[in-house]
Amino acid sequence: MTLASTADQSMANAKPRRGRQALRVSIGMILLLPALGFLLVFLVIPSLSLLSASVLTQSGSGDIGLPVTFANYDRLLFSSAYQKVVLRTMSISVWTSLISIVLAYPLAMVIAYGRPSLSRLTMVLVVAPLVVSVIVRCYGWQLLLGNNRAGVLNWLIALVFRNRATIKLMYTEWAVIIASVHVFLPLIVLPIATSLARINPSLVEAARMLGAPPWRAFLRVTLPLSVPGLTAGVTIVFALTASSFVTPQMLGGTNASMLGILLEQQAMTVFDWPMTGAIASVMVAIALCSNAASTWIIGLLTRRGQLGGRK
Amino acid sequence: MRPPTMDLALSGLVKSFGESTAVDNVTLRIAAGELVALLGPSGCGKTTTLRMIAGLVQPTSGEVLIGGSRITHVPVHKRNIGMLFQNYALFPHMTVAQNVAFGLQMRRLRQSELREKVETALAMVQLKEYADRLPAALSGGQQQRVALARAVVIEPALLLLDEPMGALDKNLRENMQFEVRQIQKRLGITAVLVTHDQEEAMTMADRVVVMRDGRLEQVGTPKEVYESPVSRFVASFIGVSNFIQGSVVAADTTGTKMRLVCGTEALVSETGVTDGERLLSIRPESVMLRVATPGETPGLNEVIATVEHVVFKGQTTHVHMRMRDGATLLSNLSGTVASRLLPSLGAGTDVIASWSADRARVVLDS
Repeated sequence: MTLASTADQSMANAKPRRGRQALRVSIGMILLLPALGFLLVFLVIPSLSLLSASVLTQSGSGDIGLPVTFANYDRLLFSSAYQKVVLRTMSISVWTSLISIVLAYPLAMVIAYGRPSLSRLTMVLVVAPLVVSVIVRCYGWQLLLGNNRAGVLNWLIALVFRNRATIKLMYTEWAVIIASVHVFLPLIVLPIATSLARINPSLVEAARMLGAPPWRAFLRVTLPLSVPGLTAGVTIVFALTASSFVTPQMLGGTNASMLGILLEQQAMTVFDWPMTGAIASVMVAIALCSNAASTWIIGLLTRRGQLGGRK
Repeated sequence: MRPPTMDLALSGLVKSFGESTAVDNVTLRIAAGELVALLGPSGCGKTTTLRMIAGLVQPTSGEVLIGGSRITHVPVHKRNIGMLFQNYALFPHMTVAQNVAFGLQMRRLRQSELREKVETALAMVQLKEYADRLPAALSGGQQQRVALARAVVIEPALLLLDEPMGALDKNLRENMQFEVRQIQKRLGITAVLVTHDQEEAMTMADRVVVMRDGRLEQVGTPKEVYESPVSRFVASFIGVSNFIQGSVVAADTTGTKMRLVCGTEALVSETGVTDGERLLSIRPESVMLRVATPGETPGLNEVIATVEHVVFKGQTTHVHMRMRDGATLLSNLSGTVASRLLPSLGAGTDVIASWSADRARVVLDS
């Protein structure tokens, strides 16, 4: 009797609870709608229209329509002038990512393991470039990297080494790489620091006790376990560098033209929308591929490290 | 796998963190093949002592010697010490076999030899078939066994156990204590165990070192420390004890005479006690009871007390009492004695508690 009544009661309780849950789910969906609508109107539809434009033909009067053609992609990827820009974009992004990784680990380790005061100071210094406008930052780099004696770096070199030679950084790929590393560094340092802080400190101690010198403990334990943060950071840095516009425009000049600049020219100067669509699509593809590629490469490297002694 | 057995010596080990001293002048000699437990409440300096032996903490002063050679300034990775951590510290991104192989890879062993040693070590902890699993797929007990295999496969001069059973549940903990002890004995590795669990220290260790405020309070076999505690701290940290206040009135080579605050006298067979205010420490299982006849005064090695409540624990029955000076007294009666006495031991009954002279100890009130 008692058993039956409790069973009845729990049944009675379960029904409204399930109902309430369903209600909560539908409220969630309703709350999502504005964001979804926004993305649909301002991201999905324009993206699709650009993507479709990239495989269509523009008539002399500017109308876009059939026939379907891949000529724009062919021109972008295989004609030497455009191909150079694509490859340069990739190489600047790769260099920026690699330099960022090397610089990021020491900083992330200070943030994750340092004394609280030092950790906070480092964090502020690393994030500082993000709060300065990109235009201001680029003018700053122009002053620092100037190719003649007026450039701070060249002035310093002349002062220290007393020679007349100047190094040429402004309006080269390296000016773009330096400025990109400067501004994107926090975006890789922070995820790596988060990953490092999550690693149990006794793992490194265990590695050390088993005979690993500090650097081997880092390579075999700390580095592989920080891969989630590393992958996230590399993806962000690579994608943002590959799609940057202001930095190459102001620091790279014509020698270091990147896809972003090409895109702006095609859209605003030449009004070639199919070509613009092709460039935009390639840039998105590069960003997506960089994520897959960095995950794969990093996975490969850490796995090989693990298996080293077992084969 | 038969590592050379080495003895360990700590000489005047001190570690200060700013103003506070975590470890204060610890000197200890541990024989080859011996397992010594550092026992104490949290903050007593036992873990810091262990970490100084490991090389993870640099001592402020003092020396650590293994096999007679000074290793105080040898870096961690060159000390050849195996360690078990409370949280196992298995590398989560490596398989069980890779974890065990790690230390051997650092020693640049030949492939064939390495694989053979890993297999032997995994067989030793009965986890051979788990070689290719990741640690996350293993239970806590299995993980700690992998950690044990990983620690001993490098044939360490010393095995350090940092509360290794702390995260395991009770049954598993007892099994692991036994297993770790068996393997340690079989390999003849000198070992240091850090624990706050007195039962674990008693079951596993050849000798127990009770630490308090960074100092060694008492060093001895589990039996010595349990039966002859030097202070109230040791007597109440290891097991449970009754304390009766009093002062030593006479001491010679045959024994010690104490006058207790409750008026009676006690004769203890312990010798070499100095005069002064002391406590008489008697383990609850050594306290015998009989119902007091009206107007009876307690004699030598006896006190009068009133029963407050009786708790039946199965194998034993705990009788909680209060003495005339207000202090509590506990007697653990065994089954047969309890069943004979129990009907007459209602709350409020006056009883005479007694003990034999060789079961009581004179301890410092600290």
